[in-house]
Order: sequence, then C-alpha cells, then structure tokens
Amino acid sequence: MGRASSKEDVGALFRSLRSAYAATTLNLKIIDLYVGFAIFTALIQVVYMVMVGSFPFNSFLSGVLSCVGTAVLAVCLRIQVNKENKEFKDLPPERAFADFVLCNLVLHLVMINFLG
Amino acid sequence: MGKLWVISIASIFILLPFLGNAFSPESPTDRRVLVLLDDSAIKSSHSIYFNSLKSRGFDLEFKLADDPKIALQRYGQYLYDALVLFCPSVERFGGSIDLAAILDFVDSGRDLIIAADSSASDLIREVGIECGVDFDEDPSAMVIDHIGYAVSETEGDHTLIASDDLIKSDVILGSKRIEAPILFRGIGHSLNPANNLVLKVLSASPSAYSANPKSKLSTPPSLTGSAISLVSIVQARNNARILITGSLSMFSNKFFRSGVQKAGEKTKHEKSGNEQFLTEISKWVFHERGHLKTVNVKHHKVGETDEPALYRINDELEYSVEIYEWSGKSWDPYVANDVQVQFYMMSPYVLKTMSHNKKGLYSTSFKVPDVYGVFQFKVEYQKLGYTSLSLSKQIPVRPYRHNEYERFIPAAYPYYGAAFSMMAGFFVFSFVHLYSK
Repeated sequence: MGRASSKEDVGALFRSLRSAYAATTLNLKIIDLYVGFAIFTALIQVVYMVMVGSFPFNSFLSGVLSCVGTAVLAVCLRIQVNKENKEFKDLPPERAFADFVLCNLVLHLVMINFLG
Repeated sequence: MGKLWVISIASIFILLPFLGNAFSPESPTDRRVLVLLDDSAIKSSHSIYFNSLKSRGFDLEFKLADDPKIALQRYGQYLYDALVLFCPSVERFGGSIDLAAILDFVDSGRDLIIAADSSASDLIREVGIECGVDFDEDPSAMVIDHIGYAVSETEGDHTLIASDDLIKSDVILGSKRIEAPILFRGIGHSLNPANNLVLKVLSASPSAYSANPKSKLSTPPSLTGSAISLVSIVQARNNARILITGSLSMFSNKFFRSGVQKAGEKTKHEKSGNEQFLTEISKWVFHERGHLKTVNVKHHKVGETDEPALYRINDELEYSVEIYEWSGKSWDPYVANDVQVQFYMMSPYVLKTMSHNKKGLYSTSFKVPDVYGVFQFKVEYQKLGYTSLSLSKQIPVRPYRHNEYERFIPAAYPYYGAAFSMMAGFFVFSFVHLYSK
C-alpha cells in the first residue's frame, strides 16, 4: 500500500515538474540550455582527468573553472532577467545583461592566463 | 768586465730563492731532513740507509738527540721538511724540541719517521701514542716468534723474526714485489682501534707474541698474533706522513746485507728484503710517490665553454678536473677509474664516476636534478696510500622562469578546447539572448 503510493507520488512529481517547466518563457529555457552545456563540459573534463591523471593541473583547473564560472554567471543572469522574480523587479534586464557580459570577459581573461 | 760582474750579481739574486729548495706545493718532495741519533755510531752502522736517502737528493743533518742547539723552527719558519727519530732511548730532547714541538711539526704537514727499540723511553712511547700506536707497556718485552723466526747461528731466543706479512699496496711499497722476508728485532706495537688514519704495513705472523725473552711467562701476553704491528704508517688529514717501527736495527747495515731464511722454509734468500722495503717505504713517506694535486676545476653547460654563475633545473652540464701525481721529479697524469664527483646539497643528488683521457683530465656530464637550491660540486677522494683530495665548489640552481615552462602540452588539449568552447558558447549565447523575444 505505501510502496505503490510512493511510486505514484514520484511519477506525479515528475509530471507536475514537466508541465510547470513547459510554461516558462523561451528566454529562460535558452539560458537553462546554456547552463546545461557548461556543466556537461565540466563533467567531461573531470572524467578525462580521472582517466589520464592530473598532469598539467593548472590547465585542468582553468578548464573546469571556466565552465563552472560560466554556469554560475548564466544562473545569475537568469535570476535577474526572470519577470516572476519579486526581488529584481526594478532591475532593467539590459543592466543584468551588461553585468553578465563584463563578468564573463573578466572570467575568460583570467582563465586564459591560467591555462598555461 | 764590469758588465760580467753585474750579470753575475743579478743572476745570484734571481737564483737565490731556488737555493733554499724546500718542499712546496709545486715540488712536494721533502729536501731537508733532520736525523736525531742517540749515539753517533748509528751514523756509520746505518750508513747504507742514509746513503740511499742522500743519493735521492735529500740533505741530511745528523745531530745527537740531546744536543742543546737543535731546533725545528726559528722565528716561525721551519728549518727542516722531515724528521727522523733514530733515538729510542732519549729521555728529553735537547734544544727547543719536545713532544709538543714534534706534534706541531707534523701538524704543519711535515713528515716523521720514528724507530723505537727494546730500550724505548717514555718520550718515544708518548710520541707513538700521539700518532695512534701503542707500544707494549712492558719495558723489557720484545716480539718473539717461535715459528716465524729467522734461522741464524747466534740468536737463539727467537727474537730475530723474519716477516713477510706486508700490506698490499703498490703506492706504499713500490711496484716490484719484495721477495725476501724482512728481518726485525725489537718491540711490537698495536694500533689504536679508534684511529682510522693508521695502517699496518708489516704485521707479525699469528704465532708471534710480545714478552720478555729472558724470563719465564707467568701470564698470557697481552699483545699476540697479527694484532702486533711491526711497521705502521699514518697519513694525517693534512697529508703529513709518519712511519713508526719498533726496531731500529731493521735499518742497520747488518740487516740490510744479511741473508735470511725463515724457519720452516727451505729457501734461503741471499739478501733480506729490508733494503728494498725501507727504501720504497721511505719514498712514500717523503712524498716521492702517491702525492696528488688537482688543478683546473671547470664546469659549464654542455655546448658552451664559459662557466655560468648559476644553473637552471634540468640543465645538462659538464664537470672536469685535472689530477696529477708527483713522481719524485715531475708531475705525471694520475690514472684511476674511481674518482667520483657529487652534486651535493645536504646529501648527494648525483654521484658519478669520472672518466679520464689518459692525460689526467677527469670529466663527466650529468643533468641537474629537478630541485633548486645552492649545490656544491664535491670531489672527496681517499685511496689507500694517496693524499686525500677534498674539492668543493658552490653553485646555485634556479627554477624555471615563467616563460621557460612547456607550452601546448598535448595532454591538456581537452582543457584548452573546453576553455575556448566556453568562450565561443558565451559569444553565441549573447547574440541569441539579445535577439530573441
């Protein structure tokens, strides 16, 4: 009795998540895709490091952190651009995008230097 | 006529320094030798030995041990290069010589020969102790060997022994083998076990012991067998050489000329080995053999010729040194396969045996280890019978400069790719974000 209901609950959970997600705007879905791409690249690098060893450790760090940093900045952009977010109601989305671009420039500059 | 006068005066002044030809780093063989005797009869009874020294160019000065005018140094300058003590029974030296003066003499790098006897005084025994040998304490003891004695018609108490238990070293004893046994009659000594500079050159056979020949043995003798050394040498850390023996009569004409037959052996040798043995070993003691010098320590990076002030890790470098051996008259190239150089910082990171071109130039090349710091090139060479070499040259080693690291490492291509793909992704995304509704 309990097992069957928890299985149904998990299924119901997924269905409601999927339907709620379908309601988000295209803009935010594109940002989510971008974040997914960054995390995926980071995971590939970690798997590679585990297989081959951490020889040029600074290069490994640079690659992984550029991916993670990109993901973090994209998430920040998503938070600030989302119209349903009460906290950033007064923030113009252009300002959010400008911050995003500047931070990404700094991030990539540092990562290229550290890449060795 | 006037010109001739001037030229002769000038040449005398120019040659004057060469007249007082003592031992110097350029010509290490001793020249002026002071021989102290108990009794001037020794000068004639040991004349073959003294003449062999004179024929090799030494200036011998004979003095009685208690002569009040003898001195080893005057106004801080040493007057002699070597000292021969053929005075076993002297209680006090005359003049300004005493135990401390003799030890200072050796500490300044000069050589010493001591011959004791059954009448050895406390002073001679003390000189022996300072050099690292202990003569038998019993004043009437002599070395007795009932199995290895020399057969003779007169000596019946077996104190005249024939020994051929020599150290194996061509440097000390010469390249020609000493065929006949060596006659010995006197006291034996043992080596101080804590001293690692003293060596036994001629040891007694395992059947020898040290005791009073005239009285019956009441207790077992303290000094027995091969622990008894008949002739010992010491090479000090400043390369001064000392020869110590317990038999003055070993140097005498009588022993040099007599034949020898060891008891129990059939061969009777016409001439004992004493003359050859003592001549060769005195060549070693007076630095005519086995004296090394090093010149021209050089190091440089492979492919260059000048010496850099510091090296970088993982550099290839070459080190070379020239070693010469004094042959008695000139410096000849030293030939050996075991000279090693260390690249040392607290412990040797690199230890390599150097190879030589037959002319005395030793060289090797190696890679600087992957550690930075201040290293030393060290050559520590101690071979039996040769002077010890101790060279050390300091050199710093630096790590890579920031532009000397490897670039474009193939193993890191995925990381490069990831970083650049992130940049491309950012670029594309920003366009998409701006121009989508």
